[in-house]
Amino acid sequence: MSKDQIKLRFIFPALLGVLFFFMGSANLFAQKAKKNKARINVEYVKLMNGKIFFNIKASSRVNKETIALSDIDLTVYNVLDDEDNELGTARTNAKGESSFSLNSINAIKADSTDTYHILVAFAGNDAFKKAKKSIEFKDANIEAKIITKDSVNYVTAVLTDAKTNEPIADQSLKVQVQRLFKPLRIGKEFNSTDEAGAISVAVEEGIPGLDGNLTLEVVLNESDDYGTIKSMVTGNIGVAFVDESTYDQRTMWSPRGKTPYFLLFLTYSGIFVAWGFIVYLFINLFKLSKS
Amino acid sequence: MKTKEQHIQSLIPKKFNKIEIIWMSFLLLIIFAGFLAYVDQLINGLEVTNLNDYSLWGIYISNFVFFVATSFVGSATVAILRLTKNEWRTPLVRIAEIISLAAIAMAGITIVIDLGRPDRMLNTFIYARFQSPITWDVIIIPTYLVVSFLLLYFPLLPDLAIMKKYYEKSSPKLSKWYGKLSLNWTGNEAQKALLQKSVTIVAILILPLGLILQTIDAWLFSTTYRIGWKSTNFGPYFISGAFVAGIGALVVSIYFVRKMKNLEDYITDFHFDKLGKLMALACMIYLYFNVNEYLIPAYASTLNEETHLNTLFTGHYSTIFWFVTIGGLIIPIFLLMFKKGRKPLPMLLIGLLVVVASWWKRYIIVTPTLLHPYLPIQGVPESWREYFPSLHEWLITASNLATALLIFTLLIRYLPVVPIQRTIDEEALLTTDKKIES
Amino acid sequence: MENKNKNSRRKFLDKGLKLGLVTAIGGIGLSKLSCKPETESDTDTGEKMELMTTDGTIIQVDASEVMDVDHHTKEDHDNHDVREGIPNRKFVMVVDLAKCKNALACQSACNKHHYVTGDNAWIKVYKMQEAQDTAPYWMPVTCQHCDQPACVTVCPVDATFKRKDGLVLIDNTRCIGCRFCMAACPYSIRVFNWSEPDQGEITLNMDMDMNDPAHAAHEVHASPEHAGVPSVKGTVDKCDFCPHAIQNNELPHCVSACPNGVFYFGDKYEDTVTNGEETLRLSKLLEDKAGYRFMDELGTKPSVYYLPPTDRLVDFEDGLENYNEFQSVEKPE
Repeated sequence: MSKDQIKLRFIFPALLGVLFFFMGSANLFAQKAKKNKARINVEYVKLMNGKIFFNIKASSRVNKETIALSDIDLTVYNVLDDEDNELGTARTNAKGESSFSLNSINAIKADSTDTYHILVAFAGNDAFKKAKKSIEFKDANIEAKIITKDSVNYVTAVLTDAKTNEPIADQSLKVQVQRLFKPLRIGKEFNSTDEAGAISVAVEEGIPGLDGNLTLEVVLNESDDYGTIKSMVTGNIGVAFVDESTYDQRTMWSPRGKTPYFLLFLTYSGIFVAWGFIVYLFINLFKLSKS
Repeated sequence: MKTKEQHIQSLIPKKFNKIEIIWMSFLLLIIFAGFLAYVDQLINGLEVTNLNDYSLWGIYISNFVFFVATSFVGSATVAILRLTKNEWRTPLVRIAEIISLAAIAMAGITIVIDLGRPDRMLNTFIYARFQSPITWDVIIIPTYLVVSFLLLYFPLLPDLAIMKKYYEKSSPKLSKWYGKLSLNWTGNEAQKALLQKSVTIVAILILPLGLILQTIDAWLFSTTYRIGWKSTNFGPYFISGAFVAGIGALVVSIYFVRKMKNLEDYITDFHFDKLGKLMALACMIYLYFNVNEYLIPAYASTLNEETHLNTLFTGHYSTIFWFVTIGGLIIPIFLLMFKKGRKPLPMLLIGLLVVVASWWKRYIIVTPTLLHPYLPIQGVPESWREYFPSLHEWLITASNLATALLIFTLLIRYLPVVPIQRTIDEEALLTTDKKIES
Repeated sequence: MENKNKNSRRKFLDKGLKLGLVTAIGGIGLSKLSCKPETESDTDTGEKMELMTTDGTIIQVDASEVMDVDHHTKEDHDNHDVREGIPNRKFVMVVDLAKCKNALACQSACNKHHYVTGDNAWIKVYKMQEAQDTAPYWMPVTCQHCDQPACVTVCPVDATFKRKDGLVLIDNTRCIGCRFCMAACPYSIRVFNWSEPDQGEITLNMDMDMNDPAHAAHEVHASPEHAGVPSVKGTVDKCDFCPHAIQNNELPHCVSACPNGVFYFGDKYEDTVTNGEETLRLSKLLEDKAGYRFMDELGTKPSVYYLPPTDRLVDFEDGLENYNEFQSVEKPE
């Protein structure tokens, strides 16, 4: 073969190779151009009875609208010394939300500065790119109590750093009563902890509760360092409410089983009398046919 | 003075003549059309009517109230005239009893037609709530139906025996049926005594039942908050309205029956005269209650009542309102004051006017109130602000009436319209002491 | 020499053409790959289903695309009797007329979540004006869930009933369609299903659940606690105060949908109501803003309180553009 021929022989497969390479990468390129960005939001909540939660929200901005990413799988990691230790997986519901809980904060480890690092990762799927969100927080405790002074009920709470047991001052706590849909605030919107990390809020009289019991919550809401901490305390400092319903009474709007007595009496006696006569008359007809 | 045989010959039911056959075919045609309309309603739901969430009750309910009112005629003529010892009632009572029975039977059928789920109508028995006026209706209507039947049946027994004998040779099969139904009536002393006692009881029983029936019917409306319905007047208002409707229907029926069966000897001008006076009395009582219902509230009315009265006096429903009040009450009263007005033909015309006005009266009671609820009518199609019945509703209404007339026609075909035995006995009174009284 | 050149030229052309052909084919193949529709499912059954979208319109969707979505969380079962109600509660609503500007978000949300397809919505915002000289205002009216309900008193078959938690509900498997309750209600809030309700295939989801043993524990079947799922021809429907949402600690749909915070909802025994943003003592709210009940003089004892339109936050006229006198339910095109 001549030099030219060898060159051509070589160029042709090489060009084909380049062509196929571009085809292949163009394939990948085509897929990448179609996926939307996923956004993950993570909130850390600690309940003083032990459980901790990571409230995860997955969403995406598609066509200028925010839509929830429902039924996607996420993995939660505890990051320690550049190592991702998997804690578990979570699946978002129809609203794109998922609540990942651990029985206590002892299930995760903090680094040398007593800071916990959590990573929530989404591996991506056909429609959305992979995404992740990391948060970090320190552990703190709220200890709440109900005390009575001069016949006024107070909720007192102390906020301390879990590791050092030092009080944390100048953090804003809120105090609220647990209610059916949203809690009812007691006292001021912002109650700042003093140098001893303490607050004291008076509970007004006359708040109704089942049998007079009220469950009060002292909450450190979405603080940068400590996340959200909630402490609940129950006391019989409310007012027992009285059942107003007429459900158990015999009324005109009760179901058939609870008809008022006078009505039962009138209708049954009316039926009894009228049909008594009718039966008597039919008996007469019978007698007539016999005689 | 006729002999017994002559009476029997005059009063015994005869075969249908040509006119009656045409009449029956006409009725059956209408009934069939209504039946088709109802089947369509069952398949597609009540959307085949022009009812909507505001005019939620329409002429189906008007029909129901009308039939219930008409069924009062049994109580009125048989019981009331009996208590007041009006002996002239004898030739009229059978027709009144038949009208009563047909009307109350139709009332029961008509109300089921109005239900959205007629397949669940037994729920009214299985899950009955005694607090509901509809439950009271469900109790009283069958009760009244049975007693109406007994009111017809007991006095019929002697006549059934007469017919059995009469048809023994000419129609043995018919004769056998009459025989069975007559319960072996032989007219012996024991039977006569038993019959007398029973008829007395039925005639007395039907009056309070009739009054209760009309009152409960009124309470279907007056137990609501609706303006025009929430009235303490409604009970007696409906009772007197039933009196009027019943007598009107009786007068019309008697005129035609008399003509068709040549009963001029039995139902005379005298009877029309008496009935005319009775009708005038009924209309006057009803007028009194109308004044209490409409005129007095106008004196000091709330804003809501004012709206209701305006729509009747001068508004959308004024034509119908004045027709039923003037045409249905005032003109009849006036005309019936004159002896000439109480002759048979004028009585027929007045009776027809009264019956037609009675039906439209029930329309006036039901519809205007529903179309001015407490809250303004908003957020619904504009057509919902008015109500006029659809073709389906008219067809079904017509077939309801046709069915009532069919029942009536069949019963007067096979039963003597004037009580034979009683007529004979009452004439015999003039010669003997014994008689059967009812 | 000339021959050799000719041969090279031919060979070059030959190779060139081959290369060109390959390039062309490759190019076509490349373009086809980049256009490959990724949403096309191999398992298209071709069978279409009618479903209702998030904005209330009815669309046709391939049956294979439809997934059963579980509505309930684990904590939703109080295991109460449907006719007795949620224990120790008495539900009330407060409507702040000073804030309502006829946005009708409440109506859309209610229509959507209860699959209302008739001509009459279950919640309506009325254009109210007492007298010619008094100022007009917008007034949302739901079922008042009266404590002395006229509708319950007249029902002959116990199809509508009053619960201990204050709600008045309808059992549309028992209703006979006599419409006496509609005649009795002075607030005109009940609607009737005059024809077969055109609700699409929400019932398909229910049937799927009934047959699947894995789903047996979950209640996506017809219940008075989720009115309209499904609606039944020839029976009555009305606002139910959304017990199906309450069970999930969620507010009724009208309350959460309102962009102006008009509706407050809560438990009277807790003396607390919330509109999602503000949570207040009910007694204090009624005292501060002079709350009252609509047509209280009738004696029905409604569970809905109204706050009069003083110190209005919105102008009445702002609501006029949304006002449709003759329509309250949006129909699909």
